[in-house]
Amino acid sequence: MRTRKFLLASLVACFFAVASGFAQEGHPLKGTWSGDWGPTADQRNHLTFVLNWDGKNVTGVINPGPNSFPIKSVVLDPVNWTVRIEADAKDPAGNAVPIVAQGTLEDLESYHRTITGTWRQGATQGNFRLTRD
Amino acid sequence: MKTRPLAVLALLMLIASAPLSAQLSFTATYDTERKVTLRGTVTRIEWVNPHAFFFINVTDSSNIVTNWALEFGNILDLERSGWSEESLAIGDVVAVEGVPARGPARQAYARSITRAPSGERLFVVTPRPAPRAEPAPRWPDGKVRLGPAPGKKGYWGTASAVGLVENTGTPIPMNADAILDNISDVDRVAPFQPWAKALYERRQRRLLRDDPMARCVPPGGPRQFHTPHGIQMVEQREVNRILVLLGGGNRNWRLIHTDGRPVGQAAEVVPTFYGTSVGRWEGDTLVVETVGFNDKFWFTSGGLPHTELLHLTERISRPDLNTLRYDVTVDDAGAYSRPWTGGWTLQWVPDEEIQEYFCEENAESTFDR
Repeated sequence: MRTRKFLLASLVACFFAVASGFAQEGHPLKGTWSGDWGPTADQRNHLTFVLNWDGKNVTGVINPGPNSFPIKSVVLDPVNWTVRIEADAKDPAGNAVPIVAQGTLEDLESYHRTITGTWRQGATQGNFRLTRD
Repeated sequence: MKTRPLAVLALLMLIASAPLSAQLSFTATYDTERKVTLRGTVTRIEWVNPHAFFFINVTDSSNIVTNWALEFGNILDLERSGWSEESLAIGDVVAVEGVPARGPARQAYARSITRAPSGERLFVVTPRPAPRAEPAPRWPDGKVRLGPAPGKKGYWGTASAVGLVENTGTPIPMNADAILDNISDVDRVAPFQPWAKALYERRQRRLLRDDPMARCVPPGGPRQFHTPHGIQMVEQREVNRILVLLGGGNRNWRLIHTDGRPVGQAAEVVPTFYGTSVGRWEGDTLVVETVGFNDKFWFTSGGLPHTELLHLTERISRPDLNTLRYDVTVDDAGAYSRPWTGGWTLQWVPDEEIQEYFCEENAESTFDR
């Protein structure tokens, strides 16, 4: 079982090594990101972010498709590579629910760089993790 | 038993991923703050591009034998200086002074190689003789030629600068890998946007070890004009285009259309490593506009970032036979606060052809020893 886990981990590592050969080298937030957020390890909500950089602002959408909602603002602080994301989700009644996510961009050189941090959606606090696809 | 297919797959993927960590910059590979002196017996010679290696068995005072990998230059430079694979033989005893690799690898860059017991210095690269001053060759209609004159050979060799910086009149000290001597000079390099400046600084502090070109990704943009082992410019006037053939990097090529077509808009073309180039002549200067770059490469040595908004205006001229003047205006509103211009010259290498050189051939340049 241990060997199997080790081999699986090796496979994943090799996959990332192959993928990193074509990493995106421009603005580090640009791209499609996926991950989840939630108040606990068991209560998770899938996230897909599509972010773009127009030279002045990071724009984008969360969960593209019929239930998407636009991102209000993304602020990248390149001094320590922290990211603040604000958006408005909607509750079942269609009311806006503000989202504030604060995270840190890590593993910048990898195609599969990550953002991890805290996530507040309305009154619910949790954490999130996004990995660039 | 079930783990066997997994193990085979993992091994295959490991092999596939190995070339991706192929050609790091000198500074990222070797620790120039340290020196190593070795004496041993040659066990293997790798006379391949881009870096030639030989291997020696070194016996220490406890009679323990270890094998060292010693990089000793590029075979194109070595062959031009009269050396060959036969200049060293397996079983020869050599003394080596060099720069050790970073980390625990038993690898070094050999700065001095001496055969024992004769004391003969090996693999010394001689500089090219200074070329004769001559006017630039021209086509029958009087236009300057960017390649060799009819019946002649030659190509564009070493660039006068290792990295692209904004023309300010004051040189910025940097090493041969375009790593700044003083990181506080970063604001003099280019008018960065904050994120681009931070990314450039990060790449510099990491000694460029994340350089995509180290994984054989093409050197698009100005970088092709200071890639080791030169370029050739082939003017195909009958089809209104100019090919830029790269001697180093990944030995690929770029196309410049000179048929009067409009400059493409980035949104209309598939972003690529070399973009879409349209050239026109202004007197003796070829002016090339290029858009449509992807953002999967570093467009110059040293790690300057760019985005897909990158628009280059290159001005290429040949004031005499031996000099190619290359100036480029970088207009990338995604990474820089304003357009800026830099450039350098390239030296003509007469009577020689670009030789075969493939980035991938010596993927094992960092040996796990």
